[in-house]
Parts: sequence; C-alpha cells; structure tokens
Amino acid sequence: MRTLQRYRIFLFTLPAILVIGAFFVYPILLSLRLSFTDFTGVGIPKDVGWKNYERIFTRSRYLDAFTTTIVFTAMVVVVQTALGLFFAALLHRLPAVRNLCRAALFTPAMMSFVIVGYVWQFIYSPFNGGLNSALAAIGLESLQHNWIGDPNTALIAVAFAHIWMFTGYTTAIFLAGYAAIPSDLEEASRLEGASSWQRFRHIEVPLLAPSFTINVMLSTIGTLKTFELPFIMTRGGPDGATRTLSLHIIDSLFGKYKFGFASALSIVMLILVVLVAYVQNRYLRSRENNT
Amino acid sequence: MKIKRRIGIWLLSAMALILVAFMLLPVVYMLLSSFKSGTEITQNPLGLPASLDFGNYINALSKMNYLRSVLNSIGITLSVTVLVSFIGALAAYPLARRTNRLARALVLLMALGLSTPNFVTITPIYVIFRDIGLLDTYTGLILAFTALNLPLAVFFYTSFIRSIPIELEEAARLDNCSDFRIFWHVIRPLLGPATATLSLFVMLMVWNDFTYPLLLLTDESKFTVMISVYRFVGNHNLSPNDLFPAAVLGSLPLLILFIFFQRRIVSGVTAGAVK
Repeated sequence: MRTLQRYRIFLFTLPAILVIGAFFVYPILLSLRLSFTDFTGVGIPKDVGWKNYERIFTRSRYLDAFTTTIVFTAMVVVVQTALGLFFAALLHRLPAVRNLCRAALFTPAMMSFVIVGYVWQFIYSPFNGGLNSALAAIGLESLQHNWIGDPNTALIAVAFAHIWMFTGYTTAIFLAGYAAIPSDLEEASRLEGASSWQRFRHIEVPLLAPSFTINVMLSTIGTLKTFELPFIMTRGGPDGATRTLSLHIIDSLFGKYKFGFASALSIVMLILVVLVAYVQNRYLRSRENNT
Repeated sequence: MKIKRRIGIWLLSAMALILVAFMLLPVVYMLLSSFKSGTEITQNPLGLPASLDFGNYINALSKMNYLRSVLNSIGITLSVTVLVSFIGALAAYPLARRTNRLARALVLLMALGLSTPNFVTITPIYVIFRDIGLLDTYTGLILAFTALNLPLAVFFYTSFIRSIPIELEEAARLDNCSDFRIFWHVIRPLLGPATATLSLFVMLMVWNDFTYPLLLLTDESKFTVMISVYRFVGNHNLSPNDLFPAAVLGSLPLLILFIFFQRRIVSGVTAGAVK
C-alpha cells in the first residue's frame, strides 16, 4: 500500500508516456517492420526480406547520395564551426557591439528553410540573380556562373546557404562558452603580456572545448538529416549533385508511396546518425578531458 | 598605450559591424527586391527600388491566402503550446522530485523522443494518420507537433521545477493536499517564465516547419504560412515579383517577434542546445 502511494505521483507522466509511445516508440517499430515489406499504401504489406536494404547498398544512386550527404555535412560543419568561432572570438573582445551583432547574426536562423531556400535560389539565379549582378557591379563578370545549375558548384552553393542560415546559432553557443571562462584568467594573461592571438590559442580554444563538442554534434546531426534546402533549391539536381539520403526518403514518399522502401532508407539513416553521433561524442569528450 | 588600445577596439568594432552587415545582405536584398517591378529587377538588380510600390504585396496577399494561413499557424501554435506545456509540466513534476528507477527509465524514454530524427517517424505517422482518418486535419497536425515538442518541454520543465525550493510544497503537504493540488496550486503558478520561453520555441517551430504540413495537409484552407509560401512561389516558377513579397510576408511576423524577444530567444535556444 505504501509503495503504491509512493508511485502514484507517476500517474502524472501517463499522458506524456502515451504521446511518446504513439509518436516515437510505435512509429519506430512500425518503420522497422515496414522496411522489410514492399508496402505501397494499399492492401496487406508483403514481406520481401532484405530486398529494400540490398537495393540501397547496391544501386549507385543511393551510394552516391550517401557520399553527397557526407560531403555536404563535412563542408557545413567545418566552415560553420570556424566562422562561428571567428565571430565569437571577435565579439567577445568587443562588448559594446556584442549583443547587437549576435542578434543580427542570429536573424537568418529565425527564417524558415522555405524562405532561405527560395531567396538564395534567386540570389544564385543566372538571370539577374543577386550574386551574378554583384559580381558584374564590381567588374568581375568573368566569375559569373550558373551556381546551382552546374553540378560542380551546386552542392557548395546549397551548403553556403545552409551555413549562412546557422552561423549565428554557432556563434551564440560559442559566446555562451566564452561567458563561462573565468574573467580573472583572461585578466592575468593580459597582464603577463599575452597577445590577443596567444590568449585565443592557448586559453580560449582549450577552455571552449565543451562548446566545440556541442556545436560540432548539433551541426553534424542537423546537417546529416537535412533535406529542406536541396528539396527547395535544386530538387536534388542538377544531375543528382545535391541529392542527399533524406531527400530520397521524401521523394519515395511523395506521389510514389513507397512506404516500405522509404522506411528502409530511414532506418539506414538512423543507424548512420547514431553511429556518427556516438563516434563524435566519444572523440570530442575525450578531447575535452585531455585539455 | 591605452589610447592605442582604444583605437584598436574602435577599428575592430567597425570591422565587426561591416562583416555582420555583409552577412545580413541577403535579408536586405529580399526586402529591397520585394518592392521592385519585373523590369526593375532586370535593369537595377541591386539598387534601391524606384518607389515604395506595394503592388507586389497586394498581389501576393490576394493570391496566397495569407491571412487565412496566418490564422491557421497561430491557432495551431496556441493549441500546441497549451498541450505541450500542460502535458510536459505535469510529467516533469514527478521526474523533478523523484530519483528512483522508474523516474530514470522515464527520463530515458524522453531522451529517446528528443533524439529521434523526424525522418524516421514521418513515414509511419503518415500511414497511421491515414488509417485512423487524421490526415488533412488540424487535430492530426497539432498532435504531431505536440509530440515533436514534448520531450524538450519535459526536460525544460524538469530542470526548472528542480530550482523551485521543496519547502514550498512541504507546507501544503502538511495540510494534506493531494499531489495534484500541490502541482496545480503551488508549482503551476511559478512556471510562467519557463512556459514563456517554451512557447517562443513552439511558435518558431510551428511557424517555420514545413515537413509535417507538407506531408499531412492537402486542403488549402488548412495550410500553415510556410506551406502557403512554398506553394505560391513554387507554382509561379520563382517569379521574383511573387517570391520576394511572399518571403517577406512569411518571415516578417517572426522577425518582429525576434526584435522584441531577441535576448530571450537567443539564450533560450542556446540553453536548450547546451542541455
């Protein structure tokens, strides 16, 4: 009786458990189940064994999508982390403009992928797009280019829009890390005559290790699964240059209703995301402890 | 020496402002272009518009069903906020006050929800909704968004409730109040600041997300803002006279919100990430 009473308060968690069960636990299990079928939405799903998975690992279009996803993620994570650290280090030294600049940099993250995608698509447009017009205005017509129409530059162009959107986010997290650095440590090193660069290199960067971990993990996971910007800006084109794995999932759902195959793809992606997150977490945490 | 440092700081500040302004150029470009006519976009792609012509806006407003979709987005946001904050705070209370095995297991369950990417669940959710008739309904979309926001809300409230001194509850417990009455009369009135930050989160997500509405809605009268923008611009082959006013109309409400709550949003989003 006493134990029952002790646990009665957990009745409060019942609605939340129901929601999580219905929208996470059951769907994950259903996804796993559907991934071994050829379910297209009508009739009873027919078991096809590992056929969906075999397809993913043998067709070149899915292997290419795999590479595209990794390259896209690597570009975004490296550049975004570097830019975010640069802005944070700069703004940390400038308390007078810090808040204003942080807010301004954060503004693109307030906008939807839909709007960022469309606006950048027009910026890259070969017909009076902003980027080519700007190049012409400063006399660099020779650099004009069909940025997202050329398979060689499309992925970089889309990655750049993504980086533009989230640099403020990375900067804000680094700035929060800076706020946690004891100010007397900075003061002491300044008095000892350490230059701005020396302080950055030997005091700030090591102490920012936890912010590195958060930023790298957040942007890696966020970018690995992203389909929004390629979906809006290029639809995976030209010639599959921006076709990411998650875009394949959306494409197999829309109009095609290949639920079985889409489920298999999402399970593969889930394993990829969990694996990358696990390895990164292990590595970055051990790095944190070493410094 | 001191003067030299001062000048250095000034120069550095000027450089920072220029760099940040450069990052904001696409937003400025979007605003300026939204007032330009088709020929102006061709002849004067970068300069100021010749006049503040709201013709593009009037055209976009009438064609993209803007007011209706704004109302839809607001209604969905409000419903999701109410559901998420009630269910989330209720679940957070025992998780904040108990540390037994059951509590730890439930925290793990919430962590599972928090870390499941939505592409894993969209296919089954679509199938389930189709089978029980929730496709193309407000109810379905509201439930899906509620589930998406709930794990974060539970963690958010749990850490917030832990910071409330337990002595406040002890007095009520001596008066023989039930757990629910303590939650309702002692804890709930203190949750205001947490709920305020959380509702900004929910608003951001509901307003900007387009995966769920794209997948779950087909009836135009139920569209949220982003899906209206997506359809309107997409259906017009990216004509700049439609694209830019639609982009401004789609982002303006949140940008205005951001100007007022900028500190709270930035620190809330980063705190949410750091946890």
